[in-house]
Order: sequence, then C-alpha cells, then structure tokens
Amino acid sequence: MSFLRFARLGGAALAAAAAILPAMPGVAAPVRTERVTAELLAERSAVLPGQPVTVGLRLVMDKGWHTYWRNPGDSGLPTRIAWTLPEGWAAGPIQWPYPEAQRVGPLMNYGYSNDVVLLSTITPSANAAPGPVTLTAKADWLVCEDICIPEKATLTLALPVASSASEAKPANASLFDKARANLPVDAKGWRAESSIAGNLLTLRLVPPPEATAPAAVTFFPFRENFVDHPAEQRLARDGNGIRLAVKLVEPVAPGLNEAAGLLVAGSAWPGLGEARAINIAAPVMASLPPAAESAGSALGGSLILALVFALAGGMLLNLMPCVFPVLGIKVMGFVQHAHGDNRALRLQGVVFTLGVLVSFVALAALLLALRAGGAQLGWGFQLQSPAFVTALAALFLLMGLNLFGVFEWGGFAQSLTSNVSARGRYGDAFLAGVLATAVATPCTAPFMGAAVGFTLAQPPAVSLAVFATLALGMALPVLLLSFFPAALRRLPKPGPWMETFKQLMAFPLLATVVWLAWVLGAQAGNDAVLALLAGLLLLSMAAWVYGRWAHGAGIVRIVAAGLLAAIGIAIAWPGGNQPASAVATSPGAPAARQGEVNWQPWTPERFAELRAVGTPVFIDFTAAWCVTCQVNKRVALNREVVAKAMADRGVVALQADWTNYDPRITAALAELGRNALPVYALYAPGEPKPRLLPEVLTASLVADEILKLPSPKAAASTPPSR
Amino acid sequence: MTRASRRLTLKLAAAATVALLSPAAFAAAVVGQPAPAFTAPDLAGKPVSLADFKGKTVILEWHNFGCPFVQKHYKSNNMQALQRRFGPDVVWLTINSTHAGHQDYQSPAVLTQELKKFDSAPTRFLMDESGAVGRAYGAKVTPHLYIIDATGKLVYNGAIDDKRTANVDDVKTAKNFVVAAMDELRAGKPVSNASNAPYGCTIKYK
Repeated sequence: MSFLRFARLGGAALAAAAAILPAMPGVAAPVRTERVTAELLAERSAVLPGQPVTVGLRLVMDKGWHTYWRNPGDSGLPTRIAWTLPEGWAAGPIQWPYPEAQRVGPLMNYGYSNDVVLLSTITPSANAAPGPVTLTAKADWLVCEDICIPEKATLTLALPVASSASEAKPANASLFDKARANLPVDAKGWRAESSIAGNLLTLRLVPPPEATAPAAVTFFPFRENFVDHPAEQRLARDGNGIRLAVKLVEPVAPGLNEAAGLLVAGSAWPGLGEARAINIAAPVMASLPPAAESAGSALGGSLILALVFALAGGMLLNLMPCVFPVLGIKVMGFVQHAHGDNRALRLQGVVFTLGVLVSFVALAALLLALRAGGAQLGWGFQLQSPAFVTALAALFLLMGLNLFGVFEWGGFAQSLTSNVSARGRYGDAFLAGVLATAVATPCTAPFMGAAVGFTLAQPPAVSLAVFATLALGMALPVLLLSFFPAALRRLPKPGPWMETFKQLMAFPLLATVVWLAWVLGAQAGNDAVLALLAGLLLLSMAAWVYGRWAHGAGIVRIVAAGLLAAIGIAIAWPGGNQPASAVATSPGAPAARQGEVNWQPWTPERFAELRAVGTPVFIDFTAAWCVTCQVNKRVALNREVVAKAMADRGVVALQADWTNYDPRITAALAELGRNALPVYALYAPGEPKPRLLPEVLTASLVADEILKLPSPKAAASTPPSR
Repeated sequence: MTRASRRLTLKLAAAATVALLSPAAFAAAVVGQPAPAFTAPDLAGKPVSLADFKGKTVILEWHNFGCPFVQKHYKSNNMQALQRRFGPDVVWLTINSTHAGHQDYQSPAVLTQELKKFDSAPTRFLMDESGAVGRAYGAKVTPHLYIIDATGKLVYNGAIDDKRTANVDDVKTAKNFVVAAMDELRAGKPVSNASNAPYGCTIKYK
C-alpha cells in the first residue's frame, strides 16, 4: 500500500464523517471507509432519563476483510470507540461478540468477518431534559485482508430524550437480537479451573450435574501474549466435562493466577439456550485432580444404554472360552433335574444367579474401593496378581480331577455333580456362580468394554448397578433354562452317558489350567511356571490319596493328603519379592517373523514421539490373561495382509501389555474411555482422536481400517497447511 | 509448486539461510535462551550471519514499508532515531520477510532507494524472502523487535512501544520498550519487560 493511498483513505473517512446528515431518531447515516461501512444504531427510538439503552456500532466489512476482537491474536488491533456524550451521560465498554479463529500463514488472529455489531450500554443523565440529543462516537479499527488498513470514522446518532415510555419504541430489533445471540454468557453451574506445567496450560471444565460438555471447544484468551495462538488445542474428555491442553507463549509469565477468556463450542452449550460461547475465569491451581474416565464414544454417556450393553455383554460372556467349562458343568447339573423336579431346577437357577450377582458386585465394590484409594486398577485386575492366578490354577485342577472321579468332595462342599442332598446342590450352584464370575472377568465380551469404561467414571451406585446388570446378563441363559426346561427335556435321560460327559468336561478345565500357567509365565517368568506345575503335581497326589482311600484309614488319609497339598501349595505359591519388571520379554511381543506384524513395546514416550512426527500408530492394548486378545492376535492381527497394510501406510504397531499392573496403561485406557481389554486404537496422522476398532477382529477388517489412512506418498505431496 | 521443488527453490534463493530449521517450521525464539542462528543476504546480495556479530548486542527489526504501522515509525523519524541512538557498538539488523509474490514486496533496488529517502540507518538490511529467519524467530508482525545480548542470548521479544496504533502523533507520548530494555541491559540489570505482544501488520510469509 502506498503512502498516497494511506493519506487519501484517512481524508475520505474524515470527509464522510464531517457530512452530518439531518438527525433521524435511532439511526444515523452510515459512513463508508475504504473497506468498511460503519454506522451507529440504537435499540430504542428515544431514551428516558436515567434509563440505560443499548447502542451498537455496526461494521460491514468488504468480502475477505476482517476486524478484530479484544485480543486480536498474533497481529491486528481491537476496534475502539471514544464517545462524546452530553453532560452526565455515561457509556459502558464494548460488549464483544465471540470471535472466529482466523489463520494467516503460520499466525492466528481472532476477529470478525462480513458483519459485526459491537454493543455498548449508554446511560442518559437522570435529569436529562426531553428534546433532541446527538451522540458522537469516534471509532477506529484495523481492517485486514492480506494487507492491513487502519481506519477511523466519526459517527453520530440522534437519540431524543422522551418524556414518556410510550415514545421510546423498540427499534432495529432483529439486528440487536442477532448481536445478543453472539455474546458470550456466564455459564451458571459450570466450573473451570486450570494448571500450568512447563509451557502447557490445562483447562478443566466441570459441567453441572446432568449436563455434558460439548465435543468441540476452543479457548480464546482475553490476555495477549499468553497463549500460543496458532498452536493446536488438544481436547480430552474428563467424565462429563473436558480438559483442554493449550500451549503457552514462552517464557511463561510467572505468578499467573487466572486463565480468563471464552470457551467457544461448535454447537450450543447444553442448558444455556443458543449460546455458543461462555465466559470463564479459571483459577490456576497447583495441580488438577486426575481425569475421570469419559463416557465411551459408543455410549454417549447414557446410563440406560450402558445397562443395555451390560446385559448383552453379560450374555455374550457365556460364549467366551474362560466361562465355557464352568457353564458346561452347570448345564450338566441341570440335566439331572431336567426330567423331574421343576421346583428344584428353578431354585438352582436362582441360586446360581445369586452366586454370579453377589460375586460380581463384591468384585466391583472391591475394585471401586481400591480405585478410590488411588490405585490405578482396571477390570480383570485380580488376574494381574500371580497369587490369584496360582490359586485359580489349583482350583481348576482340583475341579478337573473331581470330574475324572479321582476323588469326591467331602464335608463342606458336595461334588459339583453328585446328587447327594438338596442343600449341597444349592451350595454347588452358588459356588458355580462365583467360579463363573472369577474366570469371566478377564474376558471382555463385545459391548462390554465401553460399558465398563463408562461405569467406572460414574457414582458408585450407578457403577454397581451396571455391574449387577452385567452379572444378570451372564446368569440369564442359565436362569431362563431353569425356568423353561422344555429345551432341556430334549436331552437324553440321565444315564451312563453322563459319566462320560462329566469326564469330558474335565478337559476344558485342564485347558484353563494350561492357559493360567502360561499367564503366570508371562507375569513371573519360567521358574514360576516350573514351581506351579510341581506344586500342582503334589496337589494331584494329595487328591489321589484323598480319593483312593476314601473308605479306609481315616486319619492317615486326611493327614497324608493335607501334607501333600500343603507342600504343593507352598512350592507353587509365587514369591512375593518377584518384581513384575523381572520379566524381560513379554509373551505379547515376540520377534517378528516374515509376514507378521513387527510389534514394538508401548511406552507413553514412544507413542508421543511417533505422534509428534505424524507417524500413524496402531496400539494393541493386550494382556496374557485376556483370551479375546490372544484369539484376535492369532486370527486377525499377526496376519500377512495386516502386516502388509501396516508397511504400506507406514503404521508403527505398538503393544501395550497389561499382563502386569501398569498404571500408565490404565491411564492411557482411561483417556480412550476404556477400562477393560481388548482395545485396538488406530491413530491417523493429524487426527487427535484414534479410531477404535471393535473387540472382535478379522484380518480384513483391520487391514481395511489401516488402508483408509492416506498413503505416505500422497501425504508428502500435500502442501503444508497455511 | 510441489513441496519438494519449493524446498529446492528456497535452498537456492536463500543460500542456506537458517541452519537449524526446515523452511516450514514456525518456532518462537524464547527470551532467556540462545537466539537462533541465521544467515541471509543483505541488499547487495552479500550473506550476513548473526555469528558475524559475536560479542556485540544485536537488535532485530522486522520491516515492511507497505505496512501503516511501519510507516508510522518511519514518517515520524522514530525508527531512524532509534537505529542511531545506541551508537556503533550496537548492531541493528532490519529484516524484511515479505515474499516476492506479495503486493507489499519491494526489490533490493527499490528498498535501497526508499531507505535512503527515509535516512534509515540500520547496520545492515537483510532480505528474508523465504521467511526462514522470520519463522525461526516466530516474528509475527511489522514492526516486531528483538534484542540479543553480547553473549548471544535473546533478552527482548515484543513491540516497539506501548501505543498500539498506526497514528503518527502517538509516537510523541509512547513509552518505547526497546529504549527501556537497552537502558536496563546497559546498566547490567535484567530486562523487566522482556516479552510482550508486538503490534502491527501480519508478516507476509510465503
């Protein structure tokens, strides 16, 4: 722009302003500058003494030109108004509508385009005499397209003082309504706080009960030279609220005690009418509480939906490999009654359901209590303990031996299948429910992941309700069979075949022992597996002694069996001093073979590093004790088509192994709104949120998802965003 | 133009300007940390490096005559006076990062004339047509000023003064931040207002 143009421009604006037109109430002739048409408007045709009235400075900009907000961003200047008013009148500050973010090359401005109305409140003197009055506003603004032009205009507004209310009629209603709709509101019930770590400001917004924060929110700070304006603001869910990570200008000014500005949402704020922007003044705290798990994306945070998913997920659990042996035994127990006593059958079903319910809720309550105590635990956490795994292996071995007929239970518990007394049978049914729960928890059924993630972020009562529903879902097929035994009647009558079936059912139980031994190996190493197997051998001997002389020498038999069992357990019991990190290689991350995915261990640092350079990342959240994970790994992930797709798109595969307790993985899962395995997350370059794959995978599904990513070659030829 | 060929052009044009950054990177130079090194051609095409002035205080001024805010400080003789104020021991580098395709772009020949007309007195005037130097410093507007102390550390990053207007008359009543920072620096004191928001026209980056 030449000096000549600059000089001419100022002259033109002044000339236009000087041409004062005949006073017309409520409006004034617009002034045209080089790039803007400006005018003053009033909301009433006249004012009353002492009664505030709203006036607006309207700036209609040429296409592609902008004026600026109170914090203009990296360049630009806010519009200013200097009022000349009669004696005793007062003008309030500009009420700024929320701005738009305007990217200019590597910079960011906050401003307006097309048409903006800046409202101010004018309060006439309480003893203003009725009659004509002219308000004068000297306004100046910077208007920019690619170049910037400082413009100014002197604007007048004829606004008579009326003597009665009937003379002060509404004017320009639609314009003022529109202007008001763009003003930020004070969000009652919403609470904001913040913390600063290094050059990162974290804003935390907590909604009032029953409200959920919008999904897309941008922070516009009032203060200049505070936020790095063009930097991406990263949003994460925090329960029903949000957290916004905002990069600050370095060096960060010391002693900041408040982050004030607007939060502008992509849609209206819930419970605040049409408002898109809210004012916040977030005190800067030393630290923020840990983020709550957010509602799973598949759920949208609705409790009813979570309950439905929990019920469906619970039912599907019955088909999971961990639950199957226990279920098999249960069904067989039914066969004995299927052709006779309906009442006993129903009672059995109810007791089994109670067993599942009680143990599920007890386990959930324990988990919640431990989490409340600060432990970073997730669903299935008990299997992260080698002691629990060992105990479970011992129990399953004994159950298997019992089914083979090596020994019969005596005393406190009847055989799982024997037909001794009614009381014993109910005890068995309850025990079967407890067992089913214990082994079912590590098997996340489809639909369950999101429900468990959702539920752990809720108040305890809601959490327990969801877990109870999950339990009900799991017990439901057995319960239905016990009430409607018609299906069972199709089975053959009890007979010798049942002994065969009983012995057959021992094999899935022993298979579970094999799996548990492998889990223990992953947790505590090779030596632990040896100890476990040696211990189990002794335990088998104890069972054999106990069964072999069941009708003979009483006391010797009990002592011998007890001694063997005690030694066996002592050998098998995992040493408490075994650190989890002693396991050098995780079984989840074998060396890549030809045509297999080249897995790398997940760490938060490695993940951040890859994301920073825009590398697409696939994360497999897995654990040795998660059966669905292991099945997926074999049938879907470690396949040539997946490995090829990953290589083609430059995807780095990371494996987050949760076999042992790892709070970092618990935290990473929480960020995804999950708390149970498996979880598969695919991060595309430039997209803050990952695509979450379903819990049951096929190779082609995974490959297709990966091939949806842009190919690295195409990405390289895209010019950088301006 | 593809990214690759643009990169190549940049390399040729800017004669390997900023050593540490790719042309696309936009970083902010941080007060208290070493100032980013750079090399850029002056109006005669001779390369000038920050390293050439080791041991001296260096002031950087981002410039564009097409910008009304720059005009404010040149028409009022404010900028020229500032360039002379600190004597020959202080190096003043005026840098123009306007890209060649922009209407505000002026060739070295035209700039030489205009600077003479205004009696401008920088130690050197650097052409940063690629924007590499501006991006390395995170320069946002014209004028945007930086002060680098004798040890090579950045000690000031911000506006020229506190009157955020394009009005020539405001120069008389403004508090000049560069003068204040230099006074503190020369007295061996830390710069109290070391970082603030500069005001002016957006730099016309490529």
